[in-house]
Amino acid sequence: MRVSSLFRRVPSVLMAWRNLGRSRVRTALATLGIVIGVVAIASLGMAGAALQQQATADLEGIANEVQITVGEDNDAGGIEPEDVDDIRSLSTGAEVVPEQSNHTTLASRDGQEMPVSVTGVTEANVLYDGADGELPDRLRSGALLTDETADQLGLEPGDPIEFDGQLYRLEGLIETEQGFRFVNNELVLPPEALSSQTAYDTVTVVADDGDEAQQIASAINERFNEPDDEQLRVESFADTQDELDSFMTTLNLALLGIGSISLIVASVAILNVMLMSTIERRGEIGVLRAVGIRRGEVLRTILIEALLIGVLGGLLGALCSLAVGLLIFRLLVGDAMAVFGWASLQYLVYGFAFAVVASVLSGLYPAWKAANDRPVDALRG
Amino acid sequence: MSVIELESVSKRYETGGEVVDALDCVDFAAARGEMVTVIGPSGSGKSTMLNMIGLLDTPTDGRVRLDRQDVTDCTADELTEQRRSTIGFVFQDFHLLPMLSATENVELPSMWDTSVDRRERAETLLRRVGLGDRLEHTPDELSGGQRQRVAIARSLINEPDILLADEPTGNLDQETGRTILEELTRLKTDEDVAIVSVTHDEQMLEYADRVVRIVDGVIE
Ligand SMILES: Nc1ncnc2c1ncn2[C@@H]1O[C@H](COP(=O)(O)OP(=O)(O)OP(=O)(O)O)[C@@H](O)[C@H]1O
Ligand SMILES: [Mg+2]
Repeated sequence: MRVSSLFRRVPSVLMAWRNLGRSRVRTALATLGIVIGVVAIASLGMAGAALQQQATADLEGIANEVQITVGEDNDAGGIEPEDVDDIRSLSTGAEVVPEQSNHTTLASRDGQEMPVSVTGVTEANVLYDGADGELPDRLRSGALLTDETADQLGLEPGDPIEFDGQLYRLEGLIETEQGFRFVNNELVLPPEALSSQTAYDTVTVVADDGDEAQQIASAINERFNEPDDEQLRVESFADTQDELDSFMTTLNLALLGIGSISLIVASVAILNVMLMSTIERRGEIGVLRAVGIRRGEVLRTILIEALLIGVLGGLLGALCSLAVGLLIFRLLVGDAMAVFGWASLQYLVYGFAFAVVASVLSGLYPAWKAANDRPVDALRG
Repeated sequence: MSVIELESVSKRYETGGEVVDALDCVDFAAARGEMVTVIGPSGSGKSTMLNMIGLLDTPTDGRVRLDRQDVTDCTADELTEQRRSTIGFVFQDFHLLPMLSATENVELPSMWDTSVDRRERAETLLRRVGLGDRLEHTPDELSGGQRQRVAIARSLINEPDILLADEPTGNLDQETGRTILEELTRLKTDEDVAIVSVTHDEQMLEYADRVVRIVDGVIE
């Protein structure tokens, strides 16, 4: 047991280290308590971060969209072509996609029937993602169908589909989507297919980003709506993003709160361990004080013991939390490596910092008590 | 010339309405190079007196002088400084720290003075008390007599003026006790310290320059 020269320069650290080494089981248990606390804080925090990341990914691609539907005070029952022109003029630099919709029932060769919603739109590639490969730029005479629907009906690209007495060739499959952008059992046709309707049901404006989308949304609102007269319902997903963000912040705080309870429990455990160990060593500390070791030096030594437990537990806890984080991101986001970002790694730092602070705080009272014990009383036992 | 002096020192303990005069108007002095042995029956106030001399406790009445300087009214922190620089302690049950080596135990009182490296002096002291081949041993690897010799080396690390020993041979057999007393006698002149020891051990009186008898807190 050779003392390293570095240790000799910081006697309190040397003494604290040796003291912790004396009762390894106790030190290990106190450290374990801290590890559990840190893992609780950090993994709950990271779970929140993973949820937020997933939700943001769901919203991504539509946060820059404005969706315009018929307002509740609109008697026309649809968005007139002139209105669409107005919307176009208000949405400079953005793509404006008017659609019409209807319902129909598709039948498979073996007679199985399936209700689908029909959308009439030219710029289908702006609104939908291809299930495998690119969609045609403009829809002229063909049809698109959600992949799951096609699968259930046994339809393949090239097959004919009938709507309103006319046949369309299935040109491609579009991805079925869940979440904010809901695409399910949908048949997409050129607008002419729904030409019996002159008005549109939905106009989607795709801007460059969320801010621009919001500007366009408020411009359209101002042009068409009065406070008590809603002609067009204008929805921008940038609002949804903001609401989601604030909800996530609340959720994260709640999760962290639950996590910190376990760290508080852990620091009570440290308080107990430090108190027990200083009471056990009372005579020894009395000898230190008798031979001239100052109160501050005794205090520092015991605080450093607590600090070492905190640092050790904090580091181990951060390491375990990283493993848990990899698992969480693998399950929630589908990509374990996504954990390596400040949004989630910050919780490792918080957990570690919390561990160190909590340990030192719970070491304060035992350290103060031991340092201020009169040596005569301590030596008498 | 006396290095430590008690002048009409009294110590009174009041516990639960009962009053004990552990020391009653005690006058005492010790000079460098002499070994004073304090004897008396159990409960007569020997340890209490040693605590006064060792600046571990303050008297209810009277004055304590260290090197002719009155230290009776010093604060606890000032007394700690005085103990560190002028007083060495040897206890009946050694009181070594189990996680430190012999050398580190000897260095202990000066360990926080990072400005001076006492390692060399610690090793020299250990060699002087015959433990040159046990420098890195921990207390549990040493015999009782060897532990007490480590404790004696520790008490001398800061070159004190006074060495206080409360029953230093109390936990040792006759033979080992004798070697410890011979060690103390040698160091008393080598290190020029005043040794005040408390004992029940009859053989200790042979080594004393002066014997002080105390009964019921009064020196006879
Ligand atoms: N902290 C205390 N509180 C109350 N009474 C005390 C205290 N310390 C000592 N006494 C009393 O003072 C008296 C002297 O005690 P002291 O320890 O000095 O005796 P001693 O001579 O060292 O005895 P022994 O030989 O058994 O060690 C005893 O009657 C004891 O009960
Ligand atoms: Mg005694």
